[in-house]
Amino acid sequence: MQLSLSEDQSQILGFLDGLTKPYASVPMHDHSLALTSGELDAALVENGFLDVMAEEELGPATAALVVEKLARLPFAVEAAASALVRRLIDPELPRPLCLVEEGQLRKPVRFLADGATVVVVGPSGVRSFTVSADLIGAPQEDTLYAYPVAFLTGLPDTLTTHDVDPAEITRAWRVALAAEAAGLLGAALQSVVTYVSERKQFGRHLATFQAIRHRLAEDQVVTNGVYWLAIRAAASGSQADAAMAALHAQEAAKRVTYDYHQFLGGMGMTLEHPLHLWTYRLKLLTAELGGRGANALAAADALWG
Amino acid sequence: MNFEWSEEQDAFRQTLRDFLAANLPDDWEKFSEHGPASPALTAFARDFCKKLADVGLLFPHWPVEMGGEGLGPWEQQILAEEMWIAGEPRGGQYMNVNWIGPTLVKYGTQEQQARYLQPITEGKSLWCQGFSEPDAGSDLASLRTRATLTDGNYVINGQKIWTSYAGLADTCFLLTRTSDDRKKGITILLVPMDTPGITVRQIPSLIGEGDIHEVFFDDVTVPEGARFGDEGQAWEIIAYSLRNERLGIPRFTLARAALDRAVAMLKDAGDFAREYVRIEAARCATLCEAAATANYAIVQKRVDGLGVGPESSSARFATVMCERAVCEFVVEFVPEALAGASPYLKMHHQRGIVAGIASGAAEIQLNIIASDVLELPREPR
Ligand SMILES: Cc1cc2nc3c(=O)[nH]c(=O)nc-3n(C[C@H](O)[C@H](O)[C@H](O)COP(=O)(O)OP(=O)(O)OC[C@H]3O[C@@H](n4cnc5c(N)ncnc54)[C@H](O)[C@@H]3O)c2cc1C
Repeated sequence: MQLSLSEDQSQILGFLDGLTKPYASVPMHDHSLALTSGELDAALVENGFLDVMAEEELGPATAALVVEKLARLPFAVEAAASALVRRLIDPELPRPLCLVEEGQLRKPVRFLADGATVVVVGPSGVRSFTVSADLIGAPQEDTLYAYPVAFLTGLPDTLTTHDVDPAEITRAWRVALAAEAAGLLGAALQSVVTYVSERKQFGRHLATFQAIRHRLAEDQVVTNGVYWLAIRAAASGSQADAAMAALHAQEAAKRVTYDYHQFLGGMGMTLEHPLHLWTYRLKLLTAELGGRGANALAAADALWG
Repeated sequence: MNFEWSEEQDAFRQTLRDFLAANLPDDWEKFSEHGPASPALTAFARDFCKKLADVGLLFPHWPVEMGGEGLGPWEQQILAEEMWIAGEPRGGQYMNVNWIGPTLVKYGTQEQQARYLQPITEGKSLWCQGFSEPDAGSDLASLRTRATLTDGNYVINGQKIWTSYAGLADTCFLLTRTSDDRKKGITILLVPMDTPGITVRQIPSLIGEGDIHEVFFDDVTVPEGARFGDEGQAWEIIAYSLRNERLGIPRFTLARAALDRAVAMLKDAGDFAREYVRIEAARCATLCEAAATANYAIVQKRVDGLGVGPESSSARFATVMCERAVCEFVVEFVPEALAGASPYLKMHHQRGIVAGIASGAAEIQLNIIASDVLELPREPR
């Protein structure tokens, strides 16, 4: 075991911090439900951050670390699927990469836009296509997620079939989900900790109420758990690890999205506090890959058959 | 005990449903997405409430001497349930009939009653509730908005926040500080919102347009006659009002209706066979029914003419539990609903997420249950 960051990893994460600094806070007076930035996306691609998995000395654990760190930004960027899944299918697939469960076209698709690659993953295989505007539903005003989302209206007549094991792609998807959730959970926790440490009611900081302290402390425990399970699952490549990481991520997401808005009181209902930029991404992640029940069953299957 | 509605109560519910069917537009569901405080719904509600008033359904639970039909707490419950399930087409006016009107009758001067009751009963007025301040939320008694009596006028300075409906309201039920005594220094003023010196700013929110605002008072001057009750009587009066307010929103019925919709969507998509989805759905339904029975037990107390005590906090928290569960069910299994596929479920979500905050934080309810229901020793101060 060696659980501290390697020198390469430290360097990469340090460099990533520098590169993303301009995106580390919400632009003044911006009250959007979701924040995105084309420049941030381009800078990540240009500097190879989404391809670290391919580097032998870095590999999937480093890719997961990068995804986790990026998810801490208030800006939503399509990194998880590109950094942790794309290479296993075809490293040349154009981004953004939109992973879709077979038979689940009813669900909103994150980052779906003209020219994106849609990968349909399911029991019958892994197939992809470059999406054109005619397959994207009319834009919906006011979705309640902090990701750009859209609906597919159908699949094209022909899709490219990839000669890969769908179980392996699903595994990587679970890791991607968990790594992204880990960053979102960490950033959301930090933002709430700051708020309750500053806000006073009844002549004391909210943070001094044990009702809040214990729940936040438990939130820290599960957030830490998701972080380690996600990185381990990335490193190990094990089906059981991936399913447990995804399950823990979704359990944690469900728990904190309630707690955190609750602890902010009225402020937690506004778009003036940035909390939703993390929690309203976590909400959508709880729905992915069938949700907690499906990931729990996958974990049980992998652990005990 | 008997858990069935009586024939009259069923008939009353049916009357309400028929009325709604006849008076809500075809695109109502999409329309109700605007939220109860939006300009669109507020404008709609003015028409709608007038129609309700015309057939005696705006405030049938008020006593006959107040112009109501003298129906009991069960009918008030049924009325609230049917309106809330339908997306609350009364907009902010539900507040008028639930607590503003009854409070005016109990504590208002003749002049105040003459001025304010009629517009309420005609479905014309919209009130807002100026209680919370930036530094006085859960700790409401620490509020600081000052009202100083000089030459027969109160001059008001300070700020309120989270004020629902403030952008469109005609009158504010305002809590002000008239002396330093924590609770006995608070006084209610009824303030017309067009009084010079009032500035309203809408706060962009997760819960829809027009719902929450900041309201600033700069040397706002109202005559002494705007005082509601005596100086320092606010705490007693709002204890009475809030009891009515908190029973006013039967959230569990909307949560249950939302759950049924979500399950219907899953069935349509062929996705309701998986056991874990069914188990979660059943859990949610159970929480809704637990909240319903807890709330009904309180209604029964009112029917029996008994005082409603801290057990109302228990009923309220049961409601928070079911709202939370249904919101989470929809997010986990029908995520498309919140991205445009179901205006109804989105509307529910936006109203559901405030259940543990609006009209008092859930943790405060838990403190009340711990201290006053369980009678646990209090935390040392
Ligand atoms: C949609 C909406 C509509 C509203 N409409 C109105 C309105 O029309 N008029 C009006 O006056 N107000 C209104 N409010 C305000 C509402 O009453 C307050 O938000 C509420 O009382 C909480 O106050 P706060 O927001 O200042 O939160 P705070 O008091 O800062 O509390 C934040 C959180 O801290 C925790 N907390 C606080 N105290 C304790 C404690 N003692 N022990 C443990 N935990 C604690 C709770 O989790 C709480 O949610 C509205 C709020 C919302 C969300």
